[in-house]
Order: sequence, then C-alpha cells, then structure tokens
Amino acid sequence: MNQLSRRGFLSTSAGVAGLALAGCGGGGSGASSKVTSANRTGAMAKYGVGDQFKATVPLSFPIMLLSNANYPYKADWLFWSELTKRTNVTLQPTVIPGSDYNQKRSVMVSAGNAPTLIPKTYHPDEEAYIAGGAILPVSDYLDLMPNFQDKVAKWNLQGDLDQLRESDGKFYLLPGLHQDVWKDYSLAIRTDILQQLGLAVPQTWDDLTTVLRAMKKAYPDRYPFSDRWSTPPQPGANNLLALVGEAHNVWAGWSYQHAQWDASAGKFVYTGATDSYKQVIQYLNTLVSEKLLDPESFTQSDDQARQKFANGQSFVISANAQELVNHYRKDIAKISGATVVKIPVPTGPIGAAKFGSRLENGMMIANKAKDGKDFVALMQFVDWLWYSDDGLMFAKWGVQGTTYNGSVEDGTFKLAPDVTWAGVNPSGSKNLQVDYGFFNGVFAYGGSTKLLNSQFPPEELTFQNVMDGRKALPLPPPAPLNSDDREQATLWQTSLKDYVDQQTLKFILGQRPLSQWDAYVSELKAHNSEQYISLVNQAYQDFKKNHG
Amino acid sequence: MTSRGYRAFQVFNALVLTGVVVVTLYPFATIVAQSFSSEHAITAGHVNVVPRGFNLTTYKKVMSDSAFWTNYRNTVVYTVVATAISMVLTTCYAYVLSKRQLKGRRFLIGIALFTMFFNGGLIPNYVLVTDLGLRNSIWAIVLPNAVSVFNLLVMKAFFESMPDELEEAAAVDGLNTYGILARIVLPLSKAVLATMVLFYAVSFWNSWFSAFLYMDRSNLFPVTVYLRNLIAGATGGADQGTASDTALQIGANIQAVTIVLTVVPILTVYPFIQRYFVSGVMLGAVKG
Repeated sequence: MNQLSRRGFLSTSAGVAGLALAGCGGGGSGASSKVTSANRTGAMAKYGVGDQFKATVPLSFPIMLLSNANYPYKADWLFWSELTKRTNVTLQPTVIPGSDYNQKRSVMVSAGNAPTLIPKTYHPDEEAYIAGGAILPVSDYLDLMPNFQDKVAKWNLQGDLDQLRESDGKFYLLPGLHQDVWKDYSLAIRTDILQQLGLAVPQTWDDLTTVLRAMKKAYPDRYPFSDRWSTPPQPGANNLLALVGEAHNVWAGWSYQHAQWDASAGKFVYTGATDSYKQVIQYLNTLVSEKLLDPESFTQSDDQARQKFANGQSFVISANAQELVNHYRKDIAKISGATVVKIPVPTGPIGAAKFGSRLENGMMIANKAKDGKDFVALMQFVDWLWYSDDGLMFAKWGVQGTTYNGSVEDGTFKLAPDVTWAGVNPSGSKNLQVDYGFFNGVFAYGGSTKLLNSQFPPEELTFQNVMDGRKALPLPPPAPLNSDDREQATLWQTSLKDYVDQQTLKFILGQRPLSQWDAYVSELKAHNSEQYISLVNQAYQDFKKNHG
Repeated sequence: MTSRGYRAFQVFNALVLTGVVVVTLYPFATIVAQSFSSEHAITAGHVNVVPRGFNLTTYKKVMSDSAFWTNYRNTVVYTVVATAISMVLTTCYAYVLSKRQLKGRRFLIGIALFTMFFNGGLIPNYVLVTDLGLRNSIWAIVLPNAVSVFNLLVMKAFFESMPDELEEAAAVDGLNTYGILARIVLPLSKAVLATMVLFYAVSFWNSWFSAFLYMDRSNLFPVTVYLRNLIAGATGGADQGTASDTALQIGANIQAVTIVLTVVPILTVYPFIQRYFVSGVMLGAVKG
C-alpha cells in the first residue's frame, strides 16, 4: 500500500514534469513563414513598397498603448479616425500608464492575455518572453513586410538587425529603423567665456583640455567643467565617459558593454581591460588632476551640476538638445551676456567617426496572431504604419493640410500655424501630441534622416549636419547567448560591472595610480572576465557556424 | 506634585514629538508651497515652506483637465462602493468569528489568517480576475481586497469584548441573530466602525495597483494612477525614445498641485472621525 502510493506519486510528478517540458517546447515550432489562404482575410492581394495599405474588409487589432503623461491617451484623437479612414483598420488600445508600462506588459504577456500588438519594447526585454512561446519570431514573416525589407536593404541595416538575433538565428522584435546613427548628446559650453578668452570651439578632446586650461587660468577659483548624469549604477559622469569612449572606439559610461569587438584579432575582448579603455581613464584622470574637471562630477546630482552651471561656477556641462533649450539657456539668463551652445562631439584617436545602433525600441507581436484569419493583413498594416514613408510621415506629423503643409523631401515642410509642438508655434491653439495624437512615442520613431531633421530648429540642425558628416563604424558581429549561458553570464556581468565601475572611478579620481593597471587587469580575471569572454566568443563562433 | 524627573521627561517628550511633527509636516508643507509657486522658483531650489512667485495658474490648468476629473470621480466611486462592501463583509465575518460556540470557528479564522501569509502571486491573481470576467469593472478593485484580515481581527476582538448578557437579554426579548447584530451590537460599536471606515477608505483612496493592473481604459483609472503617471512617468525610462525628441517636461508645480488636490478630501475627513479613531484603535487592545 505504502509502496503503491509512492509509485503513484512518482508517476504523477513525471507527468507534471512532462507537461512543463511540453509547455516550454511550444515556442520552437513554426520555423518558416507558413501562411495559408486561411490567414488572408482583409489582406491586399498586391501590396508593395509605395502602396497605401487598406484592408479589404474592416478589421480591428488590439494594441498595448503606453499613455504618456505629457500627452495622455484620448479616444477622439485625429490619429485614430484618420488611421481608420486610410487603412480600414481600427486599433483597440489597452491603455497603460507610462509610469509602469513594463510591469503590466510583463503580467499580460505572462498571463497569456496580451493584445496582438505589443509596442515600445526595448531590446533585450523581449528575451524574457521567448522561452514561453508567447511572442512571434517576426523574422520568419518578413516576406509579408515589403517596406521593412526595402528600408533594411536601402539603408544597409542587416548588421544592425543581426544584433537582435537570438541563438536560434531569429529575432522577435520589429525595431524602429533609423537611416543614420543619430547623435544627440554632447557638451554644452559657455561661448561668451570662449570669446572673452579668445578661444575657438574645441574640435577634439585635446582642444578641450587646452580650452579648460585657459579657463582655469582666468578663473583659478573654480572648476571650469562640472558634469552631470551620474545616476548609479554606472561610474558617474556617464555621458562624458561614453563620449570619450566613443572617440577611442570603446564602450564606456552609459554605453558600457562587457564585450568589445577586436576586428583585427577577429574576436571579442573584455572591454574594461583594453588599452583603449585605459586611455579613456587616463584622459579623464588628467582633467581631474589638473583641477579642470570637478571631481564631484561623478557623484553629484543633476540639479547640483545644473546649479553650478547656472551660477557661473562652471562653464562646461554635458548636454542634449532638450536640456540646452529647456534648462541651460533659461538657467544662465540671469548672468548678463552669458551664451551657451551644444558643440559637435569632440573627436579623438579614431577621427571623425561615430558608432551606435540605428535601431529604436520596437514591437513584439503575440504568437497566437499567426493563427488568426487576418494575420497577413496585420503584418501588412504594421508594415505600412511603422515602416512605409507615408506611414512614418503620418504618425509623426499628421495630415497634410490639417496639421502640416509642404513636404519633408523638398524641405518645404512646416507645421500648420495653429498647431503647436515642442516650442514651435508657441501661440498655436492645438497641440500636435495632446490634441491630435501625432508624434506619439508609440507610433512615431525612426525613419529617414530628412524626416528626423524636420523636427529640429536651425541651431540643432547645424549640429546634426556636422554629426551626419561623420562616418558610422561597423557594429560588432552578433554573439547571442542561449538562455542557460545567459544566466551564467548575467551572474558574472553583475560582479564585473560593479568592479569595473568602482575601479574606473578610483583611477580617474587618482585614488589609485594608473601604474597599477596591470594589477587591476588580473583582478578582473579573478572576477571571471576571461570565462565570460570565452563564453561570448564561443557564442560568436556558434552563431557564425549555424547562421552566418 | 510632579517630580523633577517627570518634568524633565515631559520636556524631552515635547521636544521629540515636536521634532517628529516637523519632520512629518515639512515635506507636505513644501509640496503645498510648491503648488502655489512658479516653476522657475521650484527648479532653482528656492521654495521651502513659503511659496515663491505666487500664482494660481497651475491650479486652473490642472482643474481644467477633464481626464483629471473623470479619474477623480472614479476614485470617489471606487472608494465609496468598496468601503461599503468591505464594511458589510468584514462586520459580518468578524461578528461570526466572535462567537466562541460557533462550530468550525478555528477553521474560519485559519482561512483568513492563511491569506495573511500566503497568496497566489501576481500573475495567477491576474488570470483569476480575468477569467472571472471582472477586468475593466469596479469589482476587480472591490472584491479581491474586500476583507482586510488585520481589520477583521481588530473587529473580532472588539465584538468579543461585548458582554454576552446584553445579547442574551435581547434574545429573551425576541430578537433573532440578525436583529441582535443590527439593533444591539452595531449601535454600540460606532467607535470601531468609524475606525474601520477610515482604514478602508484611506486604503482604497490611496490604492493604485489593482486599478493599474485590471483597468485597460484610461477613463476607468482612479486619480492615483493619473498622479503616478504624472510623477513617475515624467521621469521614468519606459519612454526614452520620445523623451529625448519632445521638449516637454511636466513641471514640478503641476505635480505638486495634483498631489494637493488628491490629498485634500481624505485630509478633511480626518478631524471628524479622529475622536472615534483614537478610541477605536485602543478598543480591543486592553481587554481582560
């Protein structure tokens, strides 16, 4: 009797384990795009680049909608009615407050209750849902998306897309596509001080050192450069580190990644142990030791840094277009004659180049959608709204003649006089985002450089033109870890990251002499940097062999 | 005749409590001051407890937002309905549990206690509420949180402290169980009822998570979700893509105004219930 019940228990638990395994296996099937006539309800028989998508019968698709606090969701936006008019598709939004979007997305997807379209997902967030089989391997269905394919081919985005691929060779996220690497962050400099001291705007990081030295000489009582964006867990002054890193072709600051591609050796190396990383640290260490860069740059809050800049205690600070116009200009208004500009990112050893991904956040599609009658129409709709020129223009600027006039292509684009947006037409009575629902972060991102530039005022355009002139360096090859390795790698990464951040700061602030660099590199090895890198290199080799 | 030691204690006590009051009130006073200040003064860090650049335009702006009022109305409705239902359920449950002769009493207490220590977790709860068809209705907020075990136990202790003779006398005079509860016990329990109403009302007024989880349409959100989006959403990372290309930032003064408007009603209720509140919390605490 006793034995029997134990056997019963064993068989039950085996059954449970089997069920669990079966549940996990669900995601692997459906290797190729198998679309049948049963999936073609509402789809256009002939749909290609340049065609306006319009469903042949009225369709509706559920979508997760991030409601931005700046322009909360409204059901009567022109965006919705015009979208239905053009495409015969009605979107049924599940409205989620932007503050906790990721949490609700996670609950809904895990509970199997997600709407068909799940936008605003940042890679690698989608990886959490792959094993459960809840989301569609979209790379299998790209033949239904002519505009997407066209942009990838035209803008040569294959390498960028490879970054999204998992170890099975597929990707699960339809990202926003940019034509060019878009740079916004740089440094802001007080130009009146430059003029007063007879200095030119620094072109290189060495120029910057010269400028800072001259400022220090004229104002010995203060640090000419006091920086911000030091939110943990990064080492601090994260934008500055990232910019200097980019000039040395190495990940640093808030761009930090553990694996650095060494093209000449054809393998990955550990970023924090490279010579380039050392040069970045050395550069910043020089600024700190000559008292040109405020050591508090790495620890102070943004507001503290801003206040120093506002009070004329510092003349240089990290910036983006928005901070410059919304804050710095207003902050220094009380200093008479003070002017500030965002300078083109200074260049370094790699010259006038830039690197970065051209992909934006993107969209997941629920896996169950592929069995729907209207699956083909769904993919065509997504392709039109997020990837066609007309769709991108519509989502961003709205309806010609109503919200804007002219065209982006020939440079005659202008918002309608009564429409206000981000400081353009401040007297306009209707807000493009709040009242019309356009330029919504859920629908409008990515696109051609011309489309992107249409949103900038002349000053920012000058900055963009300089940055556009720099050549984009190739991205590293894909090296996706499988889910087991990923767990192990995450463990290693966490302790490595802490250690690199800590020591980076110590070296920069001079608390540890750079002569101890070699000791530091062997300490990294004690934190498993080599095991980690060999895992990545193995993944790189595997991927190349299986999918290259 | 008070001893010197006792006087010293009183002085010390007064000092410490004054300190606690200041520490508690200061952030709130700052928020109120900010709500009347100009945004420039706030970002420059000039506002402490006195408004700088006094103006009422932000109040006008927030109060003219129809979404704010829709959500405000939802909060009032959810709070009133949920509190009413919670009170009925908790009172009935507690009253039953206070009867020592009840069969299975320990089991019923056990069920309640169990939920204090264990729960199904976020996703199973979500699946349950969804499958019951409660999503996007007030019941998703009301029912899962209807009985607070802590409140239940306080109430049970209070009912237990009532003399049995009172109820026996009522029974002799011909009242049935429901009559005894409605006409004898409840009228004598105003203190604990007022306390429980306050506890429930405050917790429903402040709650945002279940509404956030179970409501898919913005016209069903309570004002707390609106407020949270305003404060956390303005600085959160979920929307980086647009944060960098739109030059909008929600002003600190708008946040302050919304906080003040959200807190005021529940704050004004307090003084009226407070005298019950003190005795209500004490009741059930000291008992032979």
